[in-house]
Amino acid sequence: MSKRGLAIIGVGEVPTLRDPERTRWDILLDVCMEAIHDAGVDKNRIGAVISNNPMAQPAMQNDMSLGKIPEVMGLEGCRDIAICNAGGASTTNCLRLAEQHIESGQADFVLVPHTTVQSDIPAQDLINFFATAPLDKQFEYPYGVTFNGSMGLITQRYMYETGATQAEMAAITVALRGWGALDPMSIFYGKPITLEDVLNSRVISTPLLAKECNLLADGGGAMVVTSHEIAREMSDKAVYKLGHGTRFMSATPFMRKDIFHRKAYRESSQDALAQAGLSIHDMDLRQIYGAYPYTQASALEGYGVCEEGEGAKLWASGRCGPGGDLPCTTMGDATGRGHTGSGVSMAFYIDTVRQLRGEAGERQIDNCQHAILTTSGGSVMNTCTTVFGRQVR
Amino acid sequence: MSEYNKPLPEIQPYSKGYWDGTKQHKLLIQHCNSCDSNIFYPRRDCPKCWSQELDWIEASGKAEVYTYSVTYEGVEEAFVDDLPIILAWIDLPEGIRMHTNLVECEPEDVHIGMAVEVVFRDVTDDITLPYFRPVKRGV
Repeated sequence: MSKRGLAIIGVGEVPTLRDPERTRWDILLDVCMEAIHDAGVDKNRIGAVISNNPMAQPAMQNDMSLGKIPEVMGLEGCRDIAICNAGGASTTNCLRLAEQHIESGQADFVLVPHTTVQSDIPAQDLINFFATAPLDKQFEYPYGVTFNGSMGLITQRYMYETGATQAEMAAITVALRGWGALDPMSIFYGKPITLEDVLNSRVISTPLLAKECNLLADGGGAMVVTSHEIAREMSDKAVYKLGHGTRFMSATPFMRKDIFHRKAYRESSQDALAQAGLSIHDMDLRQIYGAYPYTQASALEGYGVCEEGEGAKLWASGRCGPGGDLPCTTMGDATGRGHTGSGVSMAFYIDTVRQLRGEAGERQIDNCQHAILTTSGGSVMNTCTTVFGRQVR
Repeated sequence: MSEYNKPLPEIQPYSKGYWDGTKQHKLLIQHCNSCDSNIFYPRRDCPKCWSQELDWIEASGKAEVYTYSVTYEGVEEAFVDDLPIILAWIDLPEGIRMHTNLVECEPEDVHIGMAVEVVFRDVTDDITLPYFRPVKRGV
């Protein structure tokens, strides 16, 4: 049997919360079992477990790195395990490695899990983690920079160059929270906010306001993936990877020439779309993981959905949010979901599966056949863009 | 000066020249003698040509604000007393972009494109950090 390509055939997820009583292992076991049940495969046919690294949680990282998952779950057919850490792009790397296990014939089915609990980590430790892990310890950290501050620097320049107003930027958060309010997996489920709510929230790092910054939370998700051919034979719920492209920029924010990542979004999406034989205008859904509002604007500019500098205005027009004709980021991004560390990317893939299956509930967009999804890691060091479809082309 | 409790730069062997420079109140930029490029941040090898024929040149200390952000909350405990903190990326005429703090000015006075100059603060006996302040007009 040909074992080419990658298809997602099972997903599992828990609601995003801040609840230290819910342990990392409870989340992990719940999402893995749900994904395997959803896929309709026997647990002993899982040939590999490729885990998303839980950031700032060294004990769980060790458990995942050193093989505890197949042992605890009794995955008797598991031939090997691995863990991928690329910050927010970790899930993407898990999927790339899973595809290699499948294509090399070592696994027919690969389990890709994520779990994160941040509510039991002291706030100061989390501030320290996000100020040191993705930022430079000699040339940024001694200056009191935080992750919000770093993204504030980029957002300020974005607004300066494009003329986007504070209200237009705030409208992006309103739309993202609008999607989150419709999503039972969001910590903000049932809690939409208004433009005034955003604009009246505290100033964190100019121009970023409190509602535009992320709430660190707990959550998890898992996927079961297989080849295109196996998926076609056994599942009518499979979602197929049709193309993928990626671009790296820099680890350290101030080193980046392409500071809004437009070129990286453009080139990675062009590669992915060319492999899929599709155009950006064939996409029914655009899913952008950037964790800060400017990325939602600049990604649309890079994709070629709108002109450079028009991204925030497009969001402010209401076309990208609930009810709009250009739905974007129905997962809500970290802003509208609650930030589960490296697992936000997992949630993006799962939401894309739900949309393509027609199982996205109140967030469901009409006749969703194709979706484009970009994840990024670290301080937006890269753009990893994938095109998914309901059918193999 | 032993009471300085904020994070200090983790100096690496190849950045020692830079930090020795700031201690003498000089802003030194690493320079590649093989391909003639200026390098920031300092490294063992030139990232363009991998030469190890690296030297230091003294920067003019003048720069321009590329972008800035005024932080009002969410910093580590050690920085709380300094709030608000003006973060900035500044462009040097030597072709270098640096991350710094703008000092000796108020948040409302800062704008993109503003001319700034280096100012040194000896934060401990061993470490001097470079900051930037607005260039005073008419001086």
